[in-house]
Amino acid sequence: METVEWETDRYVQAESDYSFALMGGTEARRERSLPMRSAVNWTVLGLVIERSSYGFELWKRYEREYGDMAPTVGGSNIYAALNVLKDKGLIEERVETRRAPDGTARLRKSHYRATQEGLVAYEGWVIAQAREHDRRSRQFARQLGAFERQPQIALAILERYGRACLDDKDARIPTTVKFPTPVTPGLGDQLASAYGREVKAATLGWIEYARRKFEALASKETPLP
Amino acid sequence: MRRVSRFHARGSRRVEVLREVSLEIDAGELVAVWGLRRSGRSTLLAVAAGVDPPDAGEVLFEGADLNARGTTALGNGVGYCRPIAGRPGGRSVIENVCAGLLARGVPPLDAQSRAQRALERVGVEPCSELASGELDAAETMRVAIACALVFGPRLLVIDEPTKGVDLLDRDEIILLLRSLANSGIAVLVSDGDGSGLSDADRSLALAGGVLRGKTSPELGTVVPLARAAGRITAA
Repeated sequence: METVEWETDRYVQAESDYSFALMGGTEARRERSLPMRSAVNWTVLGLVIERSSYGFELWKRYEREYGDMAPTVGGSNIYAALNVLKDKGLIEERVETRRAPDGTARLRKSHYRATQEGLVAYEGWVIAQAREHDRRSRQFARQLGAFERQPQIALAILERYGRACLDDKDARIPTTVKFPTPVTPGLGDQLASAYGREVKAATLGWIEYARRKFEALASKETPLP
Repeated sequence: MRRVSRFHARGSRRVEVLREVSLEIDAGELVAVWGLRRSGRSTLLAVAAGVDPPDAGEVLFEGADLNARGTTALGNGVGYCRPIAGRPGGRSVIENVCAGLLARGVPPLDAQSRAQRALERVGVEPCSELASGELDAAETMRVAIACALVFGPRLLVIDEPTKGVDLLDRDEIILLLRSLANSGIAVLVSDGDGSGLSDADRSLALAGGVLRGKTSPELGTVVPLARAAGRITAA
């Protein structure tokens, strides 16, 4: 029977000490305190929080859950992100060792799970993202106001924006996919779909408000001599 | 619908609710029309189902003018539902679903069997013996759809299928509509809160009497291919 051993792993600790030594100690501490800007790193942290796992599985989950909305990545990017997260203390690595089926070798596989520090950091990042999204939406609305004297341009923008909004299929209700491999939608898929639907209705309402405002301006517009 | 206009009287004023609206729906399509309150979305659906006549333009179902056929389109290929709050007490669900069939002279046993199948199709078969007033909003809508399904509609028009339905139950209603469309029925729904837009093949917006979006099916007529002189060409 196959055996699985969990190690508090001296090897991982040694590897960490080694990189710390290579970076000269203080540099490593500075690296740890630097703000993490990469969206890929934060996304990988979210995946680890969702379910602790192995690098390859995290990569596949990244592709499935964020393939259409986050930067495209290869497996090496996921491992690089895991290293950064580990260096910052946001996740911890445990090495699972298995005996090979023929019993001759020990196979190693790294397993990652979030730390309490990682959970707190991710919570802060998600809130910051929501604020940023809100800020950008209001910024767009304000920028449209620049066309107060050229309402026809604004109306053309709104027409295209409205069509894009109506044609957007991202808010479809997620259902179990049976081909090529069975995938059951997770909570994240359901939340993303519901968010898309609510935003779509709100956006269509806002477009109608803006359209009426600009149509009123256009009706008062006097042609240039 | 071709260049349909419809006016409403509001006191002494005459308001144009639909302004030369055109809309075409294919079998198996789910089309959602979004609009704010008083945008005319319910009027659009009532006209599309032949419940209300247009003041101008024409409404065709399978090539025939719905208004020329009078009220016979309803139950003869066209189904129409709108949310009606269940009254306390009242007839049982199965009696309600059977009522339309019995009124058309369908034998009671046959009507019972068709009603049962329709209730199973929409997922409320366990509620068949309950009084209509005991149903929640989602169940009421499912029963309303079953009332239309017993006549085997090829066009199903549903005004606000998720109105009053609990947030977490809305997805199931939309998935039911999707499955009805997948079975070959043309489904037209109106929507005020956005939930109806999620699984639609086409989403449209109605405002100021104007319908925006893709008003005709995205796929063109399928042209059969024929092999000629070793090359594939359109027949």
